[in-house]
Amino acid sequence: MILLLAVIFPLLAALAILLGGCSAKPAWGRSWLLAGAFSHALLCVLAVRLGGHAWTVLLFRTEEWLALDRFSELILVLTSVLFLAVALHLFFWLPAEYQLAKSKTADTGKKPGGDFLPEFIFLPCLLGFLATMTLAISSANLGLLWVAIEATTLVSAPLICFHRSPASLEAMWKYLLICSVGIGLALLGTFFLALAAGSHASLNIWALAAKANALNPQWCKAAFILILAGYGTKMGLAPFHTWLPDAHSEAPGAVSALLSAALLNCSFLGILRFTQIMPQSLQVFCRTLLLVLGFFSLAVAAFFVIRQHDYKRMLAYSSVEHMGLLALLWSCALKDSTMQTATMLHLIGHSLLKMVLFLVAGNILLAYGTRSVTAVNGMFSTISRNAFLFVTALLLVCGTPPSPLFVSELLLVCELGPWLGGLLLVLLFLVSAGMLSTALKMSMGTNPLFTASAEPARIAETLCVLPALSLLLLLLLGGMSCYWLSRMNLWW
Amino acid sequence: MNDLIEILLLCFLLCSFLLTCSSRLLHCIKLVAVQGILLGLLPLVLSDVGNSGPGLGILFLSIINVVIKGAVLPYLLIRTMHQAQVRRELEPMVGYALSSLLALLLIGGAFWFSRQLDGTGPVASRLAAPVAFSTILIGLFLIISRRKALTQVLGFLTFENGIALFGVGMMLEHGAIIELGILLDVFVLVFVMGIAVFQISREFQHIDADRLNSLRDCPKESAAE
Repeated sequence: MILLLAVIFPLLAALAILLGGCSAKPAWGRSWLLAGAFSHALLCVLAVRLGGHAWTVLLFRTEEWLALDRFSELILVLTSVLFLAVALHLFFWLPAEYQLAKSKTADTGKKPGGDFLPEFIFLPCLLGFLATMTLAISSANLGLLWVAIEATTLVSAPLICFHRSPASLEAMWKYLLICSVGIGLALLGTFFLALAAGSHASLNIWALAAKANALNPQWCKAAFILILAGYGTKMGLAPFHTWLPDAHSEAPGAVSALLSAALLNCSFLGILRFTQIMPQSLQVFCRTLLLVLGFFSLAVAAFFVIRQHDYKRMLAYSSVEHMGLLALLWSCALKDSTMQTATMLHLIGHSLLKMVLFLVAGNILLAYGTRSVTAVNGMFSTISRNAFLFVTALLLVCGTPPSPLFVSELLLVCELGPWLGGLLLVLLFLVSAGMLSTALKMSMGTNPLFTASAEPARIAETLCVLPALSLLLLLLLGGMSCYWLSRMNLWW
Repeated sequence: MNDLIEILLLCFLLCSFLLTCSSRLLHCIKLVAVQGILLGLLPLVLSDVGNSGPGLGILFLSIINVVIKGAVLPYLLIRTMHQAQVRRELEPMVGYALSSLLALLLIGGAFWFSRQLDGTGPVASRLAAPVAFSTILIGLFLIISRRKALTQVLGFLTFENGIALFGVGMMLEHGAIIELGILLDVFVLVFVMGIAVFQISREFQHIDADRLNSLRDCPKESAAE
């Protein structure tokens, strides 16, 4: 019941904004956005605090539709906190963006307005995105899971077009078409699984997991391949990742932060659910597929991160890398259940860091007005706070201790053994070398064209409080996980 | 009753096949609409097999299915077609003669593949699985081989119809909530895609999806060097 409310509240807030229409004051929509985000966060915390209480489970005709287990609990709270942070950021970012656009059009003499998606469409889509993600995370039924994940694509597609331009339209089209076809395959996979369970079985996850070994292995195998291709497309596993760099680079910073930090986790949860259902005889098959796709994603990311010309695309490829790492971690977790903690640690660390990075990248874009790495330089002398955050977060996302990613990657390397672990280290090194050299190029040197007293730079500097706070939280988490690791006394 | 099911399935297959060899968009939209209507009728015919007649739930779902897939979606697509001012798919990547030949090959492949599968549980008809797989493959083929963004939407709808046919034909029951959810998703998808096609046609003066290629990892200047 609480979970249903967590889906409905953001939708109600979205409805309120839509009813306000285009004539409402900007503060109307933005305060509803904050209200939706706050109420959602409260409900999620309540749902997790109550644990397995009857109020957190939604029953309809004696079948469970919404319920949480320990993975989804974690991802739900994470998503809610991330959304709240992004909503707060947007509250200050939107007026700054409009103000800058106005001063820019005053300089060039073009007529103002018309370049942005109207706010009374943008904000409801954002809230709808939150609602559908909540539905996807908390659904206890594989069919409902599919419906929710497809719905996240539909409501997030308009968000990419916040800055109306041919390039953002192209990104949106690719996102819509590639993800929909991918998710269509996942629907076929879901049908295959239903067939494996017999025609009158319900698609409830825990009912299926309980009789996993009675499922028809041939259909299960086909189902898993289709699911991995389908939800893998949405999650950004190579070779199905092609929409991801385009969408993440064209969307405004806050939307890319949500796409990368929250949405990818939802599709990962989809894949995770299906591995829980697979019969014992297919576990090796699932692990091998996850391993292959994971390494391929890492290799693709390493290849494209080096000499990347666009810093937001670089961050997008870093997401591909980390999704690959999640696939690897989960493939190890299928064999050794102690790795489940490491997987979740990695997921939380990646989400927080990616949110910080994309928000800061949005600030840099605001200040410099370009996404090209060669055009941005001397960040330390112009926007020093953002530059500090950007470089620190990049170092952490590459797995420098005390990042939580360091702990999970270390455990993964140990788990994979000498050959695969060595390969993993080489790929991780390539990615971090590419990212850090780009960060150096952007932050060092001097920029004669652009000074710290310019208006965009000052605005960008004021917008970095939230990313800084999240980074602090992350460092705390990282420090704690390093401490656990030393307490576990695994290899010291 | 079994004959009627097979006639419906064959009509369905014929529609998918005709889609690969017609160049007029209006014609294609109508074919997809007919497919949607056939898909909506199928559960009604199937439920008669048990001699009990269709229940209220099935009747309700069928009506919604026919209305959305047979009327609302074609209306949205035709409106988009007029807005974007395209009538025909000229110069597809793969010519029409070759397309129909490939479609025949895909259908043959789907029938061969379905014979390899082991059946579990009741099946509406022996034809259901191969027809569904053929339609899925033809839908994917249309998405790859056509230039216009609108034809890609049609390809996606064909693909989705094929998947839905698989669900119906294998007598899978997953509850009205999920059926309605899937329908709602498809409806919103076509709606959003329609808006996107309109915006693309306004911004680019064309809707050729293969010319949407400005986003890439190496910018064009450095590629030319």
